[in-house]
Amino acid sequence: MGVVGINMRNARYLLPNNPRRLYDLVDNKLRTKQLAVDHDMAVPETYGVVRSPHDTALLDRLLGDRDSFVIKPARGSGGKGVLVIVAREGPFFLKPSGVKLTLDEIRHHCSNILAGLFSLGGRRDVALIEYRVHPARVLTEISFQGAPDIRVVMLHGYPVMAMLRAATRESDGRANLHQGAIGIGIDLATGRTIRAVHHGHPIQLHPDLKVPVVGVQLPHWDAILDIAVTCHEMTGLGYLGVDVMIDEALGPLMIEVNARPGLAIQLANGVGLLRRLEPAMERWKSHPHDSHQQKLEFSRKTFGVK
Amino acid sequence: MASRIKLFLVVFILTAIGGGIAAYKHARLGLPLRAGELPEQWLVEAKITFIAPPEGGKVSARLSLPAAAVEEGLGQEAGSVGYNYYVEKDQGEYTAIWASEKQADNQAIYYRVSFPGRRTSGGEPMPHAGGGLPAAVNPGFSGSLQDAAKRVIQRAKSVSADPDSLFVGIFGEIAAIDASQEVGLLRARYEDESGRGALTILGIDLLNMAGVPARVAYGVRLEEARGGQQPTRLVEYYDGAYWKVRDPDEPSATLDPEKMFVWNRGGGSLFEVTGGEASQVVFTVIRGFIPLEDLTDLRDSPLLISTIFGLPASEQAVFRYVVLIPLGAFVVVVLRNLVGIATLGTFMPVLLALALLEIPLDSGLIMFTVIIAAGLWFRFLLSRLNMLVVPRVAACVVIVTLLMMLLSVVSYKLGMRDGLQITLFPMIILAWTIERMSLIWEEEGKRSALMQVGGSLLVAVIAYLFMSVKQIQYWAFYFPELLLVLLSLIILIGRYTGYRLSELFRFRDFKEA
Repeated sequence: MGVVGINMRNARYLLPNNPRRLYDLVDNKLRTKQLAVDHDMAVPETYGVVRSPHDTALLDRLLGDRDSFVIKPARGSGGKGVLVIVAREGPFFLKPSGVKLTLDEIRHHCSNILAGLFSLGGRRDVALIEYRVHPARVLTEISFQGAPDIRVVMLHGYPVMAMLRAATRESDGRANLHQGAIGIGIDLATGRTIRAVHHGHPIQLHPDLKVPVVGVQLPHWDAILDIAVTCHEMTGLGYLGVDVMIDEALGPLMIEVNARPGLAIQLANGVGLLRRLEPAMERWKSHPHDSHQQKLEFSRKTFGVK
Repeated sequence: MASRIKLFLVVFILTAIGGGIAAYKHARLGLPLRAGELPEQWLVEAKITFIAPPEGGKVSARLSLPAAAVEEGLGQEAGSVGYNYYVEKDQGEYTAIWASEKQADNQAIYYRVSFPGRRTSGGEPMPHAGGGLPAAVNPGFSGSLQDAAKRVIQRAKSVSADPDSLFVGIFGEIAAIDASQEVGLLRARYEDESGRGALTILGIDLLNMAGVPARVAYGVRLEEARGGQQPTRLVEYYDGAYWKVRDPDEPSATLDPEKMFVWNRGGGSLFEVTGGEASQVVFTVIRGFIPLEDLTDLRDSPLLISTIFGLPASEQAVFRYVVLIPLGAFVVVVLRNLVGIATLGTFMPVLLALALLEIPLDSGLIMFTVIIAAGLWFRFLLSRLNMLVVPRVAACVVIVTLLMMLLSVVSYKLGMRDGLQITLFPMIILAWTIERMSLIWEEEGKRSALMQVGGSLLVAVIAYLFMSVKQIQYWAFYFPELLLVLLSLIILIGRYTGYRLSELFRFRDFKEA
């Protein structure tokens, strides 16, 4: 079937292609964002960084009078510890689900982040406060709350597969497929959605919104692939996944780089990763000096749906 | 490809070394490959420790030996470097003597006896040695103590006909929980003087006063326990024809040779150290498969790994558990990487399995579940206080400790002795398990949390079942070089890139578009 399992991903793609020393570049979002800015890449604006318990006391000053923002751990993984605030109502802060939080509760969340509750291996961490992406209309139309993100998986800079993850009522605003979010495969050549799965079964319509999720044309596809390939160039990681969100006003923004991208993308696309990874590996071996543009052309030509 | 060859080369070399040593031990040294081919052996080790003068000087140690061991020709050996060693015989009593002129600081002397399961405990009736009849030595009570002792003896005599029943009567009376006033008086006096074992001494004095010659004997309980045991004080008394040994804790029963091994009788002291300070003797009992004589051959064989048998029994007893840990780790590797069971914390199940080895499985699992469930409930109460992470886990540790005490007390009151072993659970690990579980509960829902705890429990139980197989324990302990074979298996699994069993399930509906 060409489906890649965790053992194969780790032994054949992660370990040989991702040197350990490069992991910190992507595991620490502060560093990733700095790198991205150095490469003129668009990322959500950082409002502030909570580095110490003292900073949590000054949280209200860091927040200013912003109505919406995202607080996330710099070393978090898999969306753990991400707190999204969409509006304020008097002294309260509103989560997308409508739950009200007090400033104290947000402070407590920050101190949990600082203590390393959400970081890999429980390391001490810092909390990032940043711009909340306002997803483009096309995307909000196919997602039940939450902000859909686009994941592009690459091997040595060749995009091999892409998917869009959209929330459902069941997934409660979250984009993890095993929690009930839908995974939507994307044609690498055109940026058009080609297939969608919910709990592993193909679907055509969003289970809550009853709108078609297949055949949707994503905007800014060229720019998204461009961001992905640049992420490979700036980190040097051989096998990686790049998460991008499309902002209504600002266009595609790079959210994070993942050095251990999951395997659900195969289900969304209905294609085993091995069918894409092997040609990409061949190409990389035979053309080790492909330019940014040549890599994009190769991927779109080879992996696009004809 | 080159790395593949290297991999197979490493695996092959490890397997060859491990398997080779094991084969050598089997073929040349005659160590059977299967557990149970040899009868079980008890190995009892006496360890005398003392502190010799720092500048060095003349020291000597005497250890009374079990007469049975010497006379029946049981396997025995003495271990101590730099000592002059010999065995002295006097009126049917054997004493091992170590002497040296130049020892300093901490000293340890070992004496080991090994024997298969026996039908005699060494405490059988025995005629008086040295001719004539033994005489009872009057302990010389005075004043109110004498009156009290007399009354106790009168009462015991009134319900007994011979020395045997007098023995039962006296020990029954002085060990009773609602003891009479006289016994209370005597007990208080003896507890001041002799501390532990006071009752035994009191009983012996009373027997003597009643005209039955009696003296102290020492026995070793045949129980495998970590950390060694103190010698058990027994009572030897003369019934008019023979000396008999009985356990004052069970006055009406003769000694059970499967539970007790009489080390010293005849009234002499168990051990003596001259020239040293802070001397004490500790016994370690382990159950093995190999007689001491064969062990000696093994120990002298040139292979380094065999030297585990050269360790004193107390250390060997620890290694019995240590060699099982890699086996548990192996089970975790198989279940995580080949089967794909999610667990909380990578090696938490191994620690759990080690604890289960010493607790009956069912009560162990019940206690674990109760602690985790109650701990989770407290953890949710705590989460309302918005505490920082490390204090929160520390609070969990406190709660887990209290829960353990509560469970022990409750189960003890209900008459279940298993509850007392609960302290074997790794507490810090339990606290972290509760903390992580509650986080997963909040982040991913209770289904995910229960799945992971259930997975950990399943892995722990499988690891426990694997580690408790007699044959596996036998191999791990007597053929530790087979761990190299295990290592090569782990290396092979480390390079396995195929599907996990759980992935076959996950991708079962996968159809390529």
